[in-house]
Amino acid sequence: MLNVKSPKTKQSADEKTDREHKLHLGRQLVAVGLHRDRQAFTEVYDYYAGRVKSFLLGKGMNEDTAEELMQEIMLIVWRRAESYDPSKAAASTWIFTIARNRRIDYLRGNSRIEVELDDELLESETPERDQAQLVLDAQNAKRLEQAIEALPIEQRQVLHLSYFRGKSHGAIAAWLDLPVGTVKSRIRLATQSVRAQLIDTDRDDIL
Amino acid sequence: MTAISHHISDETLQDYAAGTLNHELEVVIACHLTLCPACRSRSAMAEAFGGAELSGCTPSPTTTSAADLLNRLDDAADSYSTEPPESTKPVVSGDGINQVPMPLQRLLPTTLDKLEWKRLAPGIKQHNLSDRHRKEGAFKLLNLSPGVVLSKHTHHDRELTLVLQGSYQDEIGRFKAGDIADFGDDVMHQPVVDTDKPCIALIATMSPVRYSGMFGRIIQPFVGI
Repeated sequence: MLNVKSPKTKQSADEKTDREHKLHLGRQLVAVGLHRDRQAFTEVYDYYAGRVKSFLLGKGMNEDTAEELMQEIMLIVWRRAESYDPSKAAASTWIFTIARNRRIDYLRGNSRIEVELDDELLESETPERDQAQLVLDAQNAKRLEQAIEALPIEQRQVLHLSYFRGKSHGAIAAWLDLPVGTVKSRIRLATQSVRAQLIDTDRDDIL
Repeated sequence: MTAISHHISDETLQDYAAGTLNHELEVVIACHLTLCPACRSRSAMAEAFGGAELSGCTPSPTTTSAADLLNRLDDAADSYSTEPPESTKPVVSGDGINQVPMPLQRLLPTTLDKLEWKRLAPGIKQHNLSDRHRKEGAFKLLNLSPGVVLSKHTHHDRELTLVLQGSYQDEIGRFKAGDIADFGDDVMHQPVVDTDKPCIALIATMSPVRYSGMFGRIIQPFVGI
């Protein structure tokens, strides 16, 4: 029942096309925001609608509810496309956050609490940049996906259970019958190795 | 704001990005993220994991097409306003050290300095933010006087503590304004208020705390952290 792909050793032509297609969809999403471009929206919809529905079904939602919520989510994508900034996030991440928030609204009856970007107390980026500031834009999204695909299967499983099955790390530990500490260390290892790979790739680009 | 030295753990950021936490823990995290650009950047990466999972999954068949959706939108265009009306409830905001991040300020009836506190024990006051039963976990502000020492305790599941004013020290280190303590049930700690100013902290848990020692067992029903 887990949908975890085996790590890829070489990049096939199909994958390359797939990644280019996702970048293309990011540009189409921008076009929806700029011109209310219906053809562009149709392309975005054809790729993401079924995936958003899979995401909703993953938490055990029934077919009809998932179809209905998926439509609401894709309508939000249509209406708010002008707020999508490809320099800040990949289209997939932006759509994921919309789907996640709508799912929370539906299941919990109150909205997810987030940082308010006009908060007077919002602390801006640290000038010395002591933490590696990763740019998670559309270009980097494909590297992130490659880095995730290359993770050991037990780390990918934890990511899948978390993002797709909606389980907290405590619930994942119970589900897999593992100590909580083991799940925590898998999450930390996955996070660290993906971050390290993205930083390395950044450096390669500069050299 | 001085530099933040205690951050949110990777696993908590992942749970937040995946949307698996409760409302109370989300408030504490959103307040820390407001104050901590480093954790905001890490949080963006956790969300990008979600995006990668979404685009890597197998799509399910849908019964509606993009054209159906857009046509329906045209039919409804006359009666439809583009954005839902924003809630216009005014939010008061404190000055200086009494200013708190908006996700918390929205829950307070007034500014931090004018808040009503309930005395729990000598030097320990609280302002409850939830009408939940204690069994469902705590969500409150705690106001600790200088020199106060809490009972040694651990937590069942998960607790987040964000310092808003003043500071405290425990076995882990020193926690100042903006610092967040993110621990599971593997940490036993005993916070001590270590300056001549009161320490005000925002606390949320998933489940109640276990105190050890006699005094702890007596005050636990009241303090609840």
